[in-house]
Amino acid sequence: MTFTSWQFGIFVAVVFGVYYLPALRALQVQLLVVASLFFYSYGQPELLPLLAVAVFGTYLFLILALRNRSIWLPMGIAFNLALLAFFKYKFLFVDATSSALVGEAPIDFLLRLPLPIGISFFVFHNISLLVDLTKQKDAPSFASVFLYIIFFPQLVSGPITRAGMFIPQMGPKFLSDVQYVDAARWILIGYFFKLYVANNLNEMTFYMSFPLYETLQTQDRWLLVFLYSYQIYADFFGYSAIAIGLGMLFGYRLPINFNLPYTSKSFSEFWTRWHMSLSSWLRTYLYIPLGGNQKGITRTYLNLMIVMGLGGLWHGAGLSYLMWGTLHGLLLVMERPLLGRLQSIDSTVFKTAQMCFVFLCVSMLWIFFKLPHFDQAIGYLTGMFVPSTSPNPPKLFYNLALLYSLPVIIQHFAPRALFERRLRGTEPFLYGAMAALMYLEAGPETAFIYFQF
Amino acid sequence: MATVQWFIKCGLTAAVLLLACGFATARFGQGLQLPSTTTRDGSLITLNRYAKEPIPDVVLVGSSLTFRLKEEYFATTNLRNLALAGGSPVTGLEIVANQPRLPRIVLVETNVLSRATDEVLVDRYSRKRNAEPLFLRPVRVVVASYESWLHAPVTQAQASSAHARLLKQPPSNFDNHVYVDRAVQQSNTEDPTVATQINVQKIERLIFALEQRGARVLLFQLPLSKELEDARFAKITRGIVHAQFPDSGRWLTIDASHSELRWADGVHLDERSALIVVQSIDRAISCCF
Repeated sequence: MTFTSWQFGIFVAVVFGVYYLPALRALQVQLLVVASLFFYSYGQPELLPLLAVAVFGTYLFLILALRNRSIWLPMGIAFNLALLAFFKYKFLFVDATSSALVGEAPIDFLLRLPLPIGISFFVFHNISLLVDLTKQKDAPSFASVFLYIIFFPQLVSGPITRAGMFIPQMGPKFLSDVQYVDAARWILIGYFFKLYVANNLNEMTFYMSFPLYETLQTQDRWLLVFLYSYQIYADFFGYSAIAIGLGMLFGYRLPINFNLPYTSKSFSEFWTRWHMSLSSWLRTYLYIPLGGNQKGITRTYLNLMIVMGLGGLWHGAGLSYLMWGTLHGLLLVMERPLLGRLQSIDSTVFKTAQMCFVFLCVSMLWIFFKLPHFDQAIGYLTGMFVPSTSPNPPKLFYNLALLYSLPVIIQHFAPRALFERRLRGTEPFLYGAMAALMYLEAGPETAFIYFQF
Repeated sequence: MATVQWFIKCGLTAAVLLLACGFATARFGQGLQLPSTTTRDGSLITLNRYAKEPIPDVVLVGSSLTFRLKEEYFATTNLRNLALAGGSPVTGLEIVANQPRLPRIVLVETNVLSRATDEVLVDRYSRKRNAEPLFLRPVRVVVASYESWLHAPVTQAQASSAHARLLKQPPSNFDNHVYVDRAVQQSNTEDPTVATQINVQKIERLIFALEQRGARVLLFQLPLSKELEDARFAKITRGIVHAQFPDSGRWLTIDASHSELRWADGVHLDERSALIVVQSIDRAISCCF
């Protein structure tokens, strides 16, 4: 069940209606657990046992680690990483096309299970849970742990919420406490970015796939890279915004995942603005335990490369993802010694140039995301620097591309003061226009890009 | 109270915009040709026209190979090209067969028969009810208006003189060997046997149904480059189709001189070659009227 389906709308309305019934107030957590299980199993019931294994296993390790943290915490983390590795990286070691994978029926059955939706996200939740909660003495209830892992708005693609932030929010929720306008703002802008921006741009960036990109003119290759940059932002920001809005409807605050990332003037700033919940998770649970920046310059650089490389591989088992992460790591390492000097230059022109440079590099690296086959990604990149010989290039409508990208550009670059002061009164009209436009001008249905991770 | 006001303003704005677009759609219809961002969009434009306009005398169905034979190239008037880029000829044929009225002649390309029928398209254009949406797409309509203003369509005379100029030019000397090699490699990898057999049987059933209702159906194969003609895909497809339809009277002869034809991307005819092939089709069907 995707966020953009009518079934999901009915599902949310029903759960919302039942959730706030006074008679069921004591069972709100359990109700959300059941609703989340229904959401997860809708169309993919065969994966419920896997989810059960992940949740029960993690809870067991949590209880054991509360007694002996030094032994059971690493075991619990290893258990979750093994789950992730099995489902995500299994085909690095076995041939997916073979009729009998290893020859043992039960193992072949497991190997043939599809990648469980959201596994990368709930495994990170589980690790956060094990690390954070074993620092205290009391174990939370099983229902709390269950809800933290599978809360449906964030189950599939985050935001990755820290256990220490989510579990304390559990308690009786009242209809009168719901911040309807805030929730509506998040949900409307989320759907608008997904349906109007991302889905329409997807029709154009479809030409980036192999072998279609061979027919593109050189300038169109460049254009599509920037359009994909806007698309992936609109897609993932849209999903995160809907998740935050839905969380609010049920009385939970989820972390903000994006803060105008394309206004970043450095790569380190970019990573404090893009997929912030993942960056924060990697910093807390990987970079700092590796020593962070406390063990000398060389070790800091190595840690950055390790974190970004693993961050890349987290997205998928492929050379392209590794390359994407490693190149981001390299950019972070290269800019680190220069950062102080660059930040001290107080010139608007220079800062604009920095912003453009960061945007250009980040956009170029998205090619490795769009084309997970490494040689295809390299083929696309190469074609950006040589004149095209394609006899029949497709026609791209530049004006249409601009109109579909405009919301991202306005969101990033329109003066804040204009919206916060002068246009404050027009806000409901603006959201109404977005609601109409996302219905009228919605692009063809496509899955959220981050669903595949 | 502020919350209620916020939602009223938001809802009213959305409702007003929807009503405005609904009114504009009812008043002006979907007549404006919206810009297509994908080849499927382009196909929908053609199919929309076919569903709305009077039934033509001649209809072509096919794949992207036939898609290149633009309607304005033909001397035969009242002709529609329903070929679907990236699609199957069977999709177009089934849509034609599901209409209450039929054209006099249906020409079916048989070069690419390995693709499945697009059931969504068949269903959409086979329903009796008016499939026109309630609301137009405002952004695309704005862009379409701008594009129409920017690129006014050429007149028949201008088009004819441009085509005549193109035909006077020598064949292109563009070096397409990279594209040909790739196309041949792909053609040799793919085995179209099963899918082609299924589609050929469907075509036979549809021909029977169409001819029972008075239409005449002719098959044709567009010329391919020598390398591609000899590749596995073309050989298998040719073998299956000719085994199923051995009667030479069923086939439209395209007598274009092979040496004059070019396939710039290795597979599809370039514009000049498409014009030459169209002239040949014009000659062949003129005797059917």
